[in-house]
Amino acid sequence: MPKYKLKVVKTIDYKRPEIKKGYADQTLHIDISNADIAIKPVEQKTKDIFVGGKGYDLWLLWNAVQADTRWNDPQNAICIASGPLGGTPIYPGSGKSIVTTLSPLTESAMDSNVGGYFGPYLKFSGFDAMQIQGKASRETVIFIDGINQKIQMLDATGLPQTAYELSAVLTDHFADGKPRNISVVSAGPGAKNTLIGCLNFTWYDAKRKHARYKQAGRGGIGTVFADKGLKALVVRWDTVTADTNMPADKTKLKDVAKLHSREIVALDPKQNEMARIGTTHLVTIMNDHDCLPTHNFRYGSHPQAPNLGQEVYRRLFDPGFDGCWMGCTVACSHGIKDFVPLTGPFKGQKVFVDGPEYETVAGCGSNLGIFDPLTVVELNFYCDAYGLDTISVGTGMAFAMECYEMGLINKTHTGGLDLSFGNRLSALELVHQMAAGEGFGQIIGQGIRKMKEKFAGDFGADAAVIADIGMEAKGLEFSEYMTKESLAQQGGYGLALKGPQHDEAWLIFLDMVHNFMPTFEQKAEALHWFPMFRTWFSLCGLCKLPWNDIIPEDNKDTAEPAKVIKHLQWYAEYFSAVTGRTSSPEDLVAMSEVVYNFQRIFNLKMGYGRRMHDTLPYRAVGPVTELEYESRAERYDTQLKEKYQVDIEGKTTAEKAALMRQLREEQYDKLKDAVYERRGWTPDGIPTVETVKRLSIDFEEVLEVLKVNGVQ
Amino acid sequence: MMIKVANHIVSWHEEMTITDLLNKIDDAHPYAVVRINETYVSRPNFDKTTIPDNAEIFLIPMVAGG
Repeated sequence: MPKYKLKVVKTIDYKRPEIKKGYADQTLHIDISNADIAIKPVEQKTKDIFVGGKGYDLWLLWNAVQADTRWNDPQNAICIASGPLGGTPIYPGSGKSIVTTLSPLTESAMDSNVGGYFGPYLKFSGFDAMQIQGKASRETVIFIDGINQKIQMLDATGLPQTAYELSAVLTDHFADGKPRNISVVSAGPGAKNTLIGCLNFTWYDAKRKHARYKQAGRGGIGTVFADKGLKALVVRWDTVTADTNMPADKTKLKDVAKLHSREIVALDPKQNEMARIGTTHLVTIMNDHDCLPTHNFRYGSHPQAPNLGQEVYRRLFDPGFDGCWMGCTVACSHGIKDFVPLTGPFKGQKVFVDGPEYETVAGCGSNLGIFDPLTVVELNFYCDAYGLDTISVGTGMAFAMECYEMGLINKTHTGGLDLSFGNRLSALELVHQMAAGEGFGQIIGQGIRKMKEKFAGDFGADAAVIADIGMEAKGLEFSEYMTKESLAQQGGYGLALKGPQHDEAWLIFLDMVHNFMPTFEQKAEALHWFPMFRTWFSLCGLCKLPWNDIIPEDNKDTAEPAKVIKHLQWYAEYFSAVTGRTSSPEDLVAMSEVVYNFQRIFNLKMGYGRRMHDTLPYRAVGPVTELEYESRAERYDTQLKEKYQVDIEGKTTAEKAALMRQLREEQYDKLKDAVYERRGWTPDGIPTVETVKRLSIDFEEVLEVLKVNGVQ
Repeated sequence: MMIKVANHIVSWHEEMTITDLLNKIDDAHPYAVVRINETYVSRPNFDKTTIPDNAEIFLIPMVAGG
């Protein structure tokens, strides 16, 4: 007999609509406070403007919350959507779910793009998107059964705490003998006891015969989920074929899908080997280019970094075809089998670890001064199992470690823990404390912005120093790239709508390594085009990796290699073939521009979204300490002399560092001007009325938000 | 005394570096990363990384990514 109980408190039957050209054309609305379940049609205007995926999510969230809604209010919604192309099993990278909510870290709209089967199964069950509001008084499981066309809310007792066990139990419980038909979304105790919780989305690994998971990591979405009293969402769907999405032109879809799929199979082994080593190849490449964050982003390289590189993980990963969606030939979702943790509740037991990917290796490895690959694996495992975002955990702990090493905090604050960089056991202990909501881990789990307030306010730390070295912007912890030597990537992080995550713009190679964009105007153009096109993937339920991580052999001979023009054309054909909406690559960018500007205005609605909110900590811009300056003195001295025409003769390191700061901060400010102008925004970073009219988002409530903020 | 580069056979010599190889082949792309068998080498190390005989070299056209 199972130790848990699931008691049905509400069931509704519904008639599943036929999917047409990638759309179900209805959304699911659940208020868990009163077990209210509603199904609403999608208006044609909504479809035309917001396309799907993140666009639908943001529109639902916009209508769910008010300007004064906070993340833990019942009105806050968690919205999950696929997209019109989502669930296509023959085109690589077509199984993503996009999640939005008001973030406990940024207090504004957060979005996350995640693998696993949930989004596609939700759509095939009849819903382009779902919205969950309210708060449950008991732990609640929501079951969407697309096969039997019913939705249930269940009171749960006795279910496992960790996502690792919970996913397995619920997959087994609802599978009816076919576990591949199930996808589970859950958080974990870490999500409940911190503000940096993630969501785990499962996909069933038929070869290894257990549920695997991917994470919607950023911004504390898992924390909102746990705060609502949600234990899990479960969706059940049947076989998926190219017909399930009912594409407008199946022949064209098959033709273009075959081209892209076969190209990946042919070229990935010659390029980054993502089907073998995932994204771990980036570790040594970033290290060699001084872009791998080490010791809280002080430096960009370390002699021991190869210990965390692909040569090690190549041997640790369990070989197999590891796609987080059916038929994806990128197949980068690798894992480690029979890993035995040294600490925590799974100590001594064999577990399967999903990952690590580059971000986790850098965040929970080099940035903490930890160069033991197995410690990174253990941190990865527990973060996932507890429902914690590995990026915020890594960047947050790195900040605390630097504060400890600088003497800004000490053992009286850390509960006796030695937080020196490289202390593996302390790092693991902090993660266990985060899950329990205890000790110094509980403080780190509040995120860097709140740590700064506490360290300065309660512990007497120097507020100016911690403002410089605490790697957050808009309240979100930085993902794992060094930006000091790339002004464009400083913009990529600082101007990103949700905070410093690289999914909007990753320009390090273009800007720093290749120097393809030396002028402000070129950087501004890149900071317009790349966020716009990359947004499009989340509108459609796609992964962006097939676009520019495996590149056509003749791409280097094209006019704009960074855009991978051949793939842009393929994506336009893909969109046209599924939706029947004939589109060019320019049309795809235009779709994104609409949603991108809407999200900026959403930030404004919530009290953010202005120039002052696009500020970066100086550690992201240049050397904070004399030690950092001196570690790359030749580089900085040369820049001062040649780029800025400064006479540095006789100047001390402190004087040169201060000059460098002034000059670099001026550059970043000028970059903001150039980007805002390119995007059609005011100098304060607000879309103009002309821009919102051009984009057809001049709704009354949008214009009202602009007016309140002085734009009319 | 040969290496394979992007499916082409190229003659090899002792102490041949990646920079030597890129100068030798007819390809103007500004490669930032190449792979020697299973080892990734980045541009800052092209001058000091020698290629072993019989190696297979992959020229990685990394321009964006992330």
